[in-house]
Amino acid sequence: MTTTPPRPAALSTTAAARRVFEVSFGEMLWSRRTIFMALVVGGPVLLAIIFRVVEAFGAPALRVNGARVAGGSVFGVMIWLLYVRFIVPVLGLFYGTSLMADEVEDKTITYLFSRPIPRGAVLLGKYLAYLACTGLVVLPSVMLTYFLTVPFAQVPGTFRSLVLDLAILAAGLAVYGAVFAFVGARLKRPLVGGLIFAFGWEPVVLALPGYLRQFTVARHLQALVPHAMPSDSALSLIQGLFRDVPSVPTALAWLTVLLVAFLWLAMRTVSRREYVLEQ
Amino acid sequence: MEATPQTPIVQAEHLSKWYGQVSGLNDVTVSIPPGITGLLGPNGAGKSTFMKLMTGQLKPSQGTIRVMGTTLWDTPSAYARVGFCPEQDAFYERMTGREWVAALVTLNGFSDAEADAAARRALEIVDLTEAGEKKIGAYSKGMRQRVKLAQALVHDPDILILDEPLTGMDPLQRRKTIRLVKDWAKRGRHVIVSSHILHEIEAMTSNILLITNGRILAEGNVHQIRDLIDTHPHTVHVKAAEPRALAARLLDDPAVTRMAFEDGALVVETRQPDAFYQRITSLAASGDAGAIAEVTSPDDNLQAVFSYLVRQ
Repeated sequence: MTTTPPRPAALSTTAAARRVFEVSFGEMLWSRRTIFMALVVGGPVLLAIIFRVVEAFGAPALRVNGARVAGGSVFGVMIWLLYVRFIVPVLGLFYGTSLMADEVEDKTITYLFSRPIPRGAVLLGKYLAYLACTGLVVLPSVMLTYFLTVPFAQVPGTFRSLVLDLAILAAGLAVYGAVFAFVGARLKRPLVGGLIFAFGWEPVVLALPGYLRQFTVARHLQALVPHAMPSDSALSLIQGLFRDVPSVPTALAWLTVLLVAFLWLAMRTVSRREYVLEQ
Repeated sequence: MEATPQTPIVQAEHLSKWYGQVSGLNDVTVSIPPGITGLLGPNGAGKSTFMKLMTGQLKPSQGTIRVMGTTLWDTPSAYARVGFCPEQDAFYERMTGREWVAALVTLNGFSDAEADAAARRALEIVDLTEAGEKKIGAYSKGMRQRVKLAQALVHDPDILILDEPLTGMDPLQRRKTIRLVKDWAKRGRHVIVSSHILHEIEAMTSNILLITNGRILAEGNVHQIRDLIDTHPHTVHVKAAEPRALAARLLDDPAVTRMAFEDGALVVETRQPDAFYQRITSLAASGDAGAIAEVTSPDDNLQAVFSYLVRQ
């Protein structure tokens, strides 16, 4: 038996999180959940392909009050309705709540928790892996949707808007991921809690006047969306009655606070919580 | 705190663990001395709970447990000195054995190059050098046990805590693993190993803790319990490529009292487990009776002895 080199110093939280990220990224990317994610983000791409084909035959794919809707507007609607309002919360929910739950269910958490690293670093590393995975799948889907819906001649004029959209979606994934990472770390049935937050609390509170709207992610994200919001649903009309969209700096500040607060809470919860594996 | 011949490596005081209404461990006060200690008890006795408390995977409901003077639950840096091989058969199946062991040891602060070198060394120790390049999903039960052992010892810890490490191994691998444990202790390190099979523990150490129903029933010398277990019939399942050929070889063995076939396995009853295990190991080594994939012993044997002890 040969001897190993002297024991290295224990890793800091950030260094440990980077290592956990490296361990988790591949596992997360090639998991069955990624197939689900690909199906979800494939929806807008499919719609964009249909739009493109219909337009290619000279027929207007979409008309509002008899006027042809331009590709840029269609893309804007897709960003708002499909990505910001649905895909980003759903992915945040399914990935965020499972950051620790997957390791616990697979009983592999023991290997991470028996290494000389802070337990919170395990969550942080897995959260970073979630961001990388979802970013790698969602952002290319947005690019594809953009290039399929926006005519090439309009690309130079709208490209800045695309970059902004990508940044907003990345921010949405980051904040929703942090919120749901906390839900996943804290609750025994995180998916139920997450669904209530994403599709119960957020739409209801957004439709009501008052300060409670500050405690949603959607409100601050929508303040960043550069496209005109559609107002063709009853919910949007109700929202429109009480709409007071915060300024971009305010929205950014709130999103940062939510991100940091929930990530910190999630790390703290993981550090203190005992995970009992089923025998 | 360094362990000296006088200093216990693990100290538990009034340690209890409840899972809701169920008691996993009940008011255990014990000191585990340096060297190799066997934790012996039937399934559900509390061995795994005790090991999880030792390694900080669980938090005590009551009492304290210290490993080398430290409570691991709230001192993650102390894991640098501890290697834990858990009971559960859980892995990142898509990784190769080498990738997995190397990835885990990077969490100990090893650089990529150091981690790779340490992983190769650890895999060599557990005889998985070639298989280390295969995906864990393709491993046999015995190989999975060994790669789990590799991740526990890859960072050269002072204490190895092994929960049923021999489960699913073939006789030759069992022998090698037992030797590995003994060699580890010869280097001045410490091993706490659990099993529900007395002769496995006995092959590694004479210092045992008997645990049943969440309590330490006895600690120290192995000989008394050994005498008791030999008076009870001992059942062994031998998973073999040719069970009938194996049965033919064992037919005239005085250690064997009864044999039966069961799903590609030979089920043997013996009152001389040591002699029988010796015979099965030499048959596995020679290959005379075909390949022997796995030797397991249900914990009924030990349960019977423990029931007897509890009644005393």
